[in-house]
Amino acid sequence: MKMLEAHNITKLFPGVVALDSVDVSFEPSEIHCIIGENGAGKSTLIKCLTGVYEPEEGEVLINGDDATKNKALFDKVAYVPQEIDLFGDMSVAENLFLPYKKSGIKGIVNQKELEKKAVPLLKKFRIPVKPDELVKDISVSSQQLLQIARATVHKEYEILMLDEPTTSLTTSDTQVLFEIIKRVKEENKAVIFISHKLEEIFALGDVLTVFRNGKKVAYAKLEEIDIPWVIKKMTGRELNQKQIFRSSKVSDEVLLEVNNLTGERFTNVSFTLKKGEILGFSGLVGAGRSELMQAIFGYLPIYSGEVKLDGEQWKLGDTNFSVKHGLIYLPEERKKQGILPVLSIKENISVSVLDELKNGISISKKKESDIARKVINTYDIKTPDADKAIQFLSGGNQQKVIIGRSMCCDPKVLVFDEPTKGIDVGTKAEIYRLMKELAEEKGIGIILISSEMEEIKKCSNRIIALYEGKKVGEYDSQEDKEVILSAIIGVNS
Amino acid sequence: MGKEKTNTNNAFVSALKKSNMTAIGVVLLLMIVIASIASPYFLDIYNLQSLIRDLAFIGMIGIAQSLLLLIGELDLSVGKIASLCGILAGMMMVNYSINPWLSLAIALCLGILFGFINGMIITKLRLNSMVATIGMQGVYGGINLVLTKGKAITGIPEDIYILGKGNLGPIPFPFIFCIIVLIFILFMIKKTKTGRYIYAIGNSREAAKILGIKVDKIRVMIYSIVGFISSLAGILYVARLGSSQSAIGENWPMNSIAASVIGGVSLTGGIGNPAGALIGAAIISIIQNMIVLFGVNVYWQSAVSGIVVVIAISFSSISEIMQERKQRKIKLG
Repeated sequence: MKMLEAHNITKLFPGVVALDSVDVSFEPSEIHCIIGENGAGKSTLIKCLTGVYEPEEGEVLINGDDATKNKALFDKVAYVPQEIDLFGDMSVAENLFLPYKKSGIKGIVNQKELEKKAVPLLKKFRIPVKPDELVKDISVSSQQLLQIARATVHKEYEILMLDEPTTSLTTSDTQVLFEIIKRVKEENKAVIFISHKLEEIFALGDVLTVFRNGKKVAYAKLEEIDIPWVIKKMTGRELNQKQIFRSSKVSDEVLLEVNNLTGERFTNVSFTLKKGEILGFSGLVGAGRSELMQAIFGYLPIYSGEVKLDGEQWKLGDTNFSVKHGLIYLPEERKKQGILPVLSIKENISVSVLDELKNGISISKKKESDIARKVINTYDIKTPDADKAIQFLSGGNQQKVIIGRSMCCDPKVLVFDEPTKGIDVGTKAEIYRLMKELAEEKGIGIILISSEMEEIKKCSNRIIALYEGKKVGEYDSQEDKEVILSAIIGVNS
Repeated sequence: MGKEKTNTNNAFVSALKKSNMTAIGVVLLLMIVIASIASPYFLDIYNLQSLIRDLAFIGMIGIAQSLLLLIGELDLSVGKIASLCGILAGMMMVNYSINPWLSLAIALCLGILFGFINGMIITKLRLNSMVATIGMQGVYGGINLVLTKGKAITGIPEDIYILGKGNLGPIPFPFIFCIIVLIFILFMIKKTKTGRYIYAIGNSREAAKILGIKVDKIRVMIYSIVGFISSLAGILYVARLGSSQSAIGENWPMNSIAASVIGGVSLTGGIGNPAGALIGAAIISIIQNMIVLFGVNVYWQSAVSGIVVVIAISFSSISEIMQERKQRKIKLG
């Protein structure tokens, strides 16, 4: 008996075939993984399966009934979106049971009763918070788990759909989540698991469907396949997973020197960065890596300590100074802190070098177009024209715009904060190659913050581990994964 | 995924807002045609001149307000700054017999100072602009009352009347000032580095700071420019009335926001064009003019003008709703 089926689904957008005659079915007691590059049609499929979109052709069957004709059937699909979608100023218990109608709570809402009902659920999902805490005060990991718990509160759900649920989870919480998912599977439900992380798919899944360019290109039992097979299906080409992207031209010259730096989320951190070196920062979400770098960059305050670049005292707390003198931060929150969404690609590039584009007082249109074209060509940004609003580019191409415009400022140090978050395997390799090239050819010192151990190991010449705002270790690139992992979770510290 | 959707919507809105400039221009033309058919007095030169004189003030303040809206902020103290500067200019001329032109120049500088104070308070204390300027308009209005005890300052030297009452050919002087202001602002917004930074801040204040833009400096500068334009409008109004009054600029904060919104400037920042605010101001002025021409009962005038303004503001969102429906129809075949 198939629980959820899509028959021959075709979904069109003006000028694009987002889904092309897709057949896919999900069975109870099975963890069905879905993978594909950005723009492969995963999101569109999800939206068709949850009733947000109506496909032009084909049908969606839930327990054998056509759900496009009976929308109530979509209630059986519990969907957990990728981004955290909770009410920060409401309590954990309130968030858990919203909307009340769906969770069967009627009439006047009794706060105490809600909190009582929340306790077993929090226990089941091993969320270490109290029901009356405000959601904004709990950790990102707990929020993510809470969001999943909320989806399962609705009694009638039979299909649990998780969209990249581990992007903001720590390693240990990911393990918790996997156990929960396995338990859900044992309850005879169907689980749909969408992820970019191949290791997780192999650790958790039963079967896998691969999408490329709106088509289903492969389906297989996970025990019968391996990672290279998936990558080949996904990208349509072979990709060497083992490839290393460390810089081969690390000079002895110290570029950046940080001494005993203390700020709100980090304490007494010291490290050095050499010319042409890629220095990895490993740590859990909330270990203070981003905060440390943002503070050095001048975006967050520093309480004590000093920073030197090229042997000279660095002015702290001034982003304008940092950018002008060659220290640039490429934020993790690309959509919020990186791009200027409504402005064009051209304007997003030129904004960092407007001083050089001036003719007298006004900006020269020609110079602006020239520099935009140069960046688009050099960094291989895929866009039909430079006047398109940047928000329409894929995450990978947005990242390349940000790297390209940073390079226009002649940086000495680049800080990449989770540069491949939400970016597919093929483009990830391109970003790694770019970092390597910048370090080797321009002698730029690169700081790489990443939560993916593979990424850190693959790209860094040296690795620094942070735990709760403190530096707990410094390793060379050959160090065992397990040693670094135990450092960042606070063992031996 | 959810974000992608809102992003598409935003872009959709922005595309609409761009085309809105033409759409709103068409609405303006239609209103002129309707008004001239409906009332024989509308196209009368004296009526037009008085209409344009009114429009110049809402227009100037609207252009100023749209600058702030572009960075996602607003200033509700524009009216009180205008009247305070008018009072101060009046006192200098009448009570202290200072040269009228010098008085006006000093009043303009004070306008910049008041705007600067707004900007410093908002950026240094990290206040919300709306709340802070509600407070500040109380302060400026209060100083106003302390200085005048509520009485108008009369006996303003007639030298300066020409600025408010005079015409250049058929065109009222305040409107010429309004156009000069518009040209300056448009040049700044479209051609200079500062203008580009203003849009960047409106798109994302965090991203702008990470780009190394001196965000707070630019915000303070915009508040100062807004203070200057408010003060300019205030003293031109004094020249028009021939007396300084505390009541000057009473409706300017709301009218300037309405004019900007009608003209397609987004309330959340980053989208829009100050020229739109001037067209918006023209639409509001025509509405108010028609209400007078049609002889609407005095007590009803405010309600009627409010209703029509709400309808005018809805134009852009109604066309959005229509577009969405159309898109859905295309998609669903």
